[in-house]
Amino acid sequence: MKKLTPQQLSALHSHLIRNGSNDALMGELIDHLACEVEGYLWKGYNFDLALAKISEEANAKSIQYLRENYQHDLAMTDAQLQEATLDDIVFEFRNKSYGAYDLRQSYQSTLRTALFMGIGLFLLIVAFSGGLAAKKWSFDSPFMLLWTLGLGCVAYAVWNWYLKNVGFDEELRTS
Amino acid sequence: MESSGNEFLRGTLKTIVLKLLHERGRMYGYEITQDVKERTNGEITLTFGALYPVLHKLEQDGLLVTQSEEADGRLRKYYSLTPIGTATAHQKVSDFERFVEAMQILLSPPQPPKLSVSMA
Repeated sequence: MKKLTPQQLSALHSHLIRNGSNDALMGELIDHLACEVEGYLWKGYNFDLALAKISEEANAKSIQYLRENYQHDLAMTDAQLQEATLDDIVFEFRNKSYGAYDLRQSYQSTLRTALFMGIGLFLLIVAFSGGLAAKKWSFDSPFMLLWTLGLGCVAYAVWNWYLKNVGFDEELRTS
Repeated sequence: MESSGNEFLRGTLKTIVLKLLHERGRMYGYEITQDVKERTNGEITLTFGALYPVLHKLEQDGLLVTQSEEADGRLRKYYSLTPIGTATAHQKVSDFERFVEAMQILLSPPQPPKLSVSMA
């Protein structure tokens, strides 16, 4: 069996990009076209000729047809649309692999972690410097209360972060 | 059967895909197109533009699951049926068989003797 080199695969990749294939299908289409090219190589064509053959079939028009078909078939239903966030709508079928979508999805949780971490550390510093100024640690001083509160906030933030990024549960984790 | 073939195909594509996956267990996109081409002697050719939207739709509906594997330096996505997918495959194939039978009755020429008896 003839195999394509990485350079030849990237030639197929750029052919697909030029003709406007969408990201959700990219990997599969590369494999599909590569199989076809290998079929031609097997029949004795060279790579350039095979690529030209493939390009005839997988031209801008047929890839456009694929994209329209895809977006028509996989469009959100009315029920899903009711549930969907603005992010889901804006990023539907596009740009999900670049990171902005993931950042936006985890924004709430990140913000909460950062807020509690900030408040907690601030309280700890206030309590610590207050304790230093008073030169003694007593359990009924207001600084001890602040210290406990601060520790609580930091612990909550760390827990929140842990659930999101390490977690026990695969479901909760952001992929 | 170029253009009308495409028209017939559009409604039966899901049935074809489900049926093939039921028989073969696990296939990737290109394999499906080749299999259909070989078995119908080139009479039916699936284009990637028609096939992949259907595969993804079936996956979204929970009829198929996918496994990605690295093959020859590229990612190959294999599709296989879920239990619901298997049930749907049976259902669709038997529905389609009934449809084909009904079509054959429609397409076959009417039988004059029977008709004249009922007329009399």
